[in-house]
Amino acid sequence: MALLEVKDLWFTYPEEKRPALADVSFAVDAGEFVALCGPSGSGKSTLLRLLKPEISPYGRRSGAIFYDGSPLADIPPARCARDIGFVFQDPDNQIAMDRVLGELVFGLENLGMDTGMMRRRVAEIVHFFGLEPLLDRKTHELSGGQKQMVNLAAVLMMEPRILLLDEPTAQLDPVSAKDFFNMLRRMNEELGITVLIAEHRLEDVWPLADRVIMLEDGRLRHVGKPREVIGKLFAEGDVSFIDYLPRASVLYRQFTVEAERERIPITVKEAKRWLAGLTVVEKAEGRSIKDPCVNECPDSENAASAGRFKAEARRRREAPVLEARAVRFHYRKNDPPVLNHLSLKIDVGERLAIVGGNGTGKSTLIKTLAGLLTPQSGTIWFKGKKIKSEPPEAIGYLPQNPKLFFMEETVEDAYRHALERGGTSPALLEDYLNFFEIGHLTARHPYDLSDGELQKVVLVCLLLERPDVLLIDEPTKGLDPAVKKRFGKLLKTLNQEEGLTVVFVTHDIEFAAQVATRCAMMFRGEITAEGDPHAFFTGNAFYTTAVGRITRGAGVPEVLTPEEAKKRWLVAKDGS
Amino acid sequence: MNGGMNTFHPAVPFFFYAGGAVLIMVARHPVFLATILLVLIGHSLVMDRGRTLRRWWGAIVLMSGFFLVITPLVNRLGTHILFYFNGRPVLEEAVYQGVMTALSLAALLVLFLNYNQVITAEKFLFLFGKLPQWALVATLAVRFVPELQRRLGDIQTVQRARGLSVTAGPLQARLKNGLALVQMLLTLSLEEALQTADSMKARGYGTGKRSQYNPYRFRPADRLALLFLAAVFGLALFGWRLGDLVLTLRPVLEPVFLHGREWFYLFVVGVYFGFPLFIEGREAWRWRSWK
Repeated sequence: MALLEVKDLWFTYPEEKRPALADVSFAVDAGEFVALCGPSGSGKSTLLRLLKPEISPYGRRSGAIFYDGSPLADIPPARCARDIGFVFQDPDNQIAMDRVLGELVFGLENLGMDTGMMRRRVAEIVHFFGLEPLLDRKTHELSGGQKQMVNLAAVLMMEPRILLLDEPTAQLDPVSAKDFFNMLRRMNEELGITVLIAEHRLEDVWPLADRVIMLEDGRLRHVGKPREVIGKLFAEGDVSFIDYLPRASVLYRQFTVEAERERIPITVKEAKRWLAGLTVVEKAEGRSIKDPCVNECPDSENAASAGRFKAEARRRREAPVLEARAVRFHYRKNDPPVLNHLSLKIDVGERLAIVGGNGTGKSTLIKTLAGLLTPQSGTIWFKGKKIKSEPPEAIGYLPQNPKLFFMEETVEDAYRHALERGGTSPALLEDYLNFFEIGHLTARHPYDLSDGELQKVVLVCLLLERPDVLLIDEPTKGLDPAVKKRFGKLLKTLNQEEGLTVVFVTHDIEFAAQVATRCAMMFRGEITAEGDPHAFFTGNAFYTTAVGRITRGAGVPEVLTPEEAKKRWLVAKDGS
Repeated sequence: MNGGMNTFHPAVPFFFYAGGAVLIMVARHPVFLATILLVLIGHSLVMDRGRTLRRWWGAIVLMSGFFLVITPLVNRLGTHILFYFNGRPVLEEAVYQGVMTALSLAALLVLFLNYNQVITAEKFLFLFGKLPQWALVATLAVRFVPELQRRLGDIQTVQRARGLSVTAGPLQARLKNGLALVQMLLTLSLEEALQTADSMKARGYGTGKRSQYNPYRFRPADRLALLFLAAVFGLALFGWRLGDLVLTLRPVLEPVFLHGREWFYLFVVGVYFGFPLFIEGREAWRWRSWK
């Protein structure tokens, strides 16, 4: 019998005409790992919240939800709290207590459990998670990854039978996200906990899932085993979901006419095995491997190209637009430096991606470059002038949390402030609104927008002040793959057509590989490596894209994206 | 911090510091107070190698010094005139009074510094937050403060990039920006608090009667320590009733040097205040002999 069953569920938010969920029916068996995929606003969060009565949104609903054979509404609250666990997206805001131990026992205290039992649970779960070193720490001192691990542990303390997760790794760096997924996998396999997870990290979640549910505009589009779903999508030639599939499968798709369902690779390992059975040669067309695509790689112009040589020449002529010279910065006197004698030159018209793990000082670097933090030693130069106390107006800074940007009540007021400050004409605003397709949002309160919309609004505000350089902190945080792709294209267009220099720090290697013209890696407060993205990422074993990992050492020309593979590879089927 | 007084159930150190404060306030004898102060300073040095004292000694010396100087100048009750200052007599009794006030003030301050190191906010809440709702509200508030600080810092940084500054520009603009900043801080905090509320509800907050996790066990050693401290404290109070902890200033000035039974009670008070040092010492000795 199914542990959770949803029958003909419809849901409409108050004062909305379109239903957020329409005719959704599915069942989840005990012990299953189910991934919920789909664009932002497709109803994933709404669905998950409807499955957890304590936090269900208000609105009109019809249909039924059954938990363990009885209607969900009839389950007593204490049992509901215990049996159905929920992990939210934001690592900070779901923590209530100030110590890790207090946070872990919070749920048990709510259920009125006695100290002896709690002690036992704490001992068990802390051991399972390896959280001993954190137990006495203050929660606000933990890193994002640690916080999310504590949140998961705090839910697991209550011994849930089913766990609902709403994009739990959206705010984490790739390494912390991997740790989180490993823990989820262990919980699912070793403890048999049922998992229903909405997630955009496809490379991580697809291999774990027993079944995948694809939502679009509040409707179920596909339900099934991962390979079945991918096979069906391929067979139907449906490209709208292509961004939501693992790169390994997309790569496979591009070189296979008739996809054999059982052979569709999902993981890097499977893709490597598939590649081993192929013979791949570089497309000849009179070019060597070193200089593979001149004009036909608009999407990944990261390879050595004529354009780059031109840029190289210009670089030598012109002084850098922004430069850090031996910058050293620490937040407190006795702390180790976050930036350690860091030097970096940013040239006019380039798109620089700065990658690196959590806590390597990426965000600090970008704030320092923007003139928002004053380094203890070293200097920042903008257009040949030293940045003193005031941040220069010609540098636009897009913060990691775009909500922090808005002091105004409406989006329109924010535009007005930007127009005044930049001295630009309202006609330009019209242009940008059309270009970004966000004209309909002007009357709204900023906090009512989605992450993707917020980012665009902030970007428009920044552009109205006519900056020369745009500094972006984690541009892809919380964006779904399709929105991310569009945002990357936007940045490229702005860069190419308006000559805007773009610098961004990111965890997202796929994004960096697609958008940047140059990549730099940060480690322990220094830039340890830099180069053009292609050379940079094909040289990395771990810090590279999924396709990069697949093709590395596989005896095929190394590429970073499926699109690039399509342009460069010539595949001859090897009989063996 | 671990070790020393932290090895006990919070009730033990709390009793010690409460009792210690009482003894300091009732003891009116320079020798007793000086002994207490020295022992307390000793414990503070052992606990963090003088880091706390180094930060506070300026304030302690200033306050104590103030009473040390001002009391002899204004207090004119007594019969033993030492000398004249600006035509006013300076009395021996008043000098003693000043020394005692200064010493007891310094001792109380050092005691409080030590207390703060041992009894953390959680231990206090554990002891007195017996009403779970109160404890919960207090903990939530404690968690909220660093969050507010973090958010305010973030907002300020980002808004500075937009040219809205609270540290530069004309006063009126700064005020206006400051107000907007606070308003934004509140909006953002409320927005994020909604998520915290959801997360609390999701984990069954409000479904029934709450229990409270008790991270401390009351062990036999705690009982023993508490009984010991209570006995010594009682004995010291008895000594105070007998007048041995007090230097009689009037009608007849008692000699400052201890005599007879007073030596015994000095020992008793020394044992009381030396208790934490004894615990730390015993631990160090155990380590040494363990190898």
